[in-house]
This record gives sequence, C-alpha cells and structure tokens, in this order.
Amino acid sequence: MNDFTVWWAIAGVAFSAIVTRCVLPLLGPRLRLSASVESSLQFAPACALAAIIVPDLLFEHGALNLSALNPRLLAGIASVLIYLITRSTLTTILGGMIVFWLTRSYI
Amino acid sequence: MTELSREEAYRRGVRDILPAAPGIIAWALVTGVAMIKSGLTIQQATGLSLAAYAGSAQLAALPLIISGAPLWLITLTAIVVNLRFVVYSAMTRRHLSQEPWFTRLWLAYLVADIMFVRFTTLLIQEPNYPHISAYYLGAAICNWVIWQVGSIAGIWAGSLIPSNWGLELAGSLALIALVVPLCRYQPTLVGVLIASLVSFIAYSLPLKLGLLLGVISGMSAALLAESVKPASRQH
Repeated sequence: MNDFTVWWAIAGVAFSAIVTRCVLPLLGPRLRLSASVESSLQFAPACALAAIIVPDLLFEHGALNLSALNPRLLAGIASVLIYLITRSTLTTILGGMIVFWLTRSYI
Repeated sequence: MTELSREEAYRRGVRDILPAAPGIIAWALVTGVAMIKSGLTIQQATGLSLAAYAGSAQLAALPLIISGAPLWLITLTAIVVNLRFVVYSAMTRRHLSQEPWFTRLWLAYLVADIMFVRFTTLLIQEPNYPHISAYYLGAAICNWVIWQVGSIAGIWAGSLIPSNWGLELAGSLALIALVVPLCRYQPTLVGVLIASLVSFIAYSLPLKLGLLLGVISGMSAALLAESVKPASRQH
C-alpha cells in the first residue's frame, strides 16, 4: 500500500461521490429513472456493504478464520444482536468493540 | 401570514439538523478513527473526508485499499454504495429546478443522508414551503460542517490511539448498524444474505472479484424475492 496508490484510491472514492450526486442534475430533466430502475437501485448499497463486511470479519490477512472463537466474527455477530435489541448505532459499535477486546484477550 | 424570507428558510434548515448532531458526530468520529487505523495518513484521511463526504463509501473502501484491490474496483464499489445519492437527487432536483445550473450542481453535491431525510419530511409536512432551496442549503451546510468537524476530530484522536487496539474494526461495525435496519424489508434481507454468502465463497477470486459477484447475486436475489412476494412491499 504505497502513498501513490492510496491517493488514487481517494480520488476514486471522491469521484464516486461526485458522480452519483450530480449525474441526474447535470443531465437535467432529459433523463428519468423508471420505477423499476429505482427499486433495483435501492438494494445495491445493502448488498455491497454486506459483501464487504462479511469477508472483512471472516478473513484476516487473506486467511480464513472460521473458528467460533474468531474475535472479529464474534464482534460482528454481537453487533447485529445489539443493534436488533437497542436500535442504537453508538451502542452497537461500542458493544461490538468490547466483545472484540474481551474475546481477543481472554480466549 | 407574513412572507417568509430566504434567510429565515436558511436558518430553519440549519436548526432542523442540529438535533441530529450527536448521531452525525458519532458516525463521523468512527469514520475518522477507522481511516487512520486502516493506515491512511492524516493528510490522506482529511483529503478523503473533505472530497468524498460519504461515510459509508469511505468505510467500505478501507478494507479494499488495505488489501490492494485495483483502483477500478474500489471506485466501482464506492459508486454502488453511493447509488442511494442518485435516488436522492432524482427526488430533490424537482424542487431545486429554479436555481441556475451551477447552483443546482453544488447543492446536489452537498446531499447527505440526514439532511435528505429532514428535507423530505418538510416537503411532506409543508408541500408549499417557500424558498425551499434556501432551506435545503441551510440543512446541507449544517450537516456538512458537523460531519467534517467530527471526522477531523476522529482523525486526530485516531492518530493518538495505539494501533493494537484494532479500532479499524469499528468501521465495519458501523456499517453493520447501517445494514441491519435495511433488512426489515424482506427482499433486502434476502439480497444481504445471498451477497454475504457469495462474497464469502468467492473470496479467493483474483482482483477481489468475489465482491462484485456478491453484489450482483445479492441484487438479483433481492429483485427476485420482490417479484415473488409483491404483497410484502412497503415502499
């Protein structure tokens, strides 16, 4: 991960934010989204985030850790449960981190 | 009823965002810390925060940057995560069409989740609100300032916290808190489960293509689930 590639990646993320926000206003009223396109767009962010989170919890430095004692996996599962119970983002992050720290040091 | 001025509309936009400030700051702090703990320098993290202003895309890009994913895949992934902005702008542009095109563009660029929710709430409560673009601007700028303050605070705090705390994990946990409420809509839940499974099975594909495969299968599964069970549609 050298400096140069990171700056390019930053430019890529910035580009994505500008394009998605400005493409419709820039094209004006000529381009309309059909209802079916809009309804398929709504699923994209959740699917993309799931496809990022799950491997991030299961793999560490490219190696699969499916052990029931994988601290990152346990923290992720705990976070889902904590969110379902409390509906609070902050409690979810804090609770998940505490599970991560505890399982990492005591298991 | 007295005529409402642009300044008043602007100030109301600012005021309507303030109650959400603690939530925005918490998110921004986590994003700032996660960027630093993933190995970005202070300059890189600040640059990313100021230029992209898109917390979930920033957090999603971090594991990809660390693992050396190619630039096109990082960009494409960020576009997919940001697709909701296309939907937002499809909705807001109708109300900003009186403005000159340059103003329309940078108003569109300032859209964010919280201010969009407030903006649409106002449109429902007061459909004929005058100076709606001034209200939008007030809400957007207030949201932007709160986010950037929190993000930069997180970047500085993160640079003081030792790396062995593993705080970059907080970024993924924050994304979990974002995805779980979306799964209340059953087709989304189906899509999320399929995307998780496929991205796991296909993880070893080169260039992180498993991610792309996961997103495509997840979206297809969600659309299929929606067409099979249209009665459950809530939107």
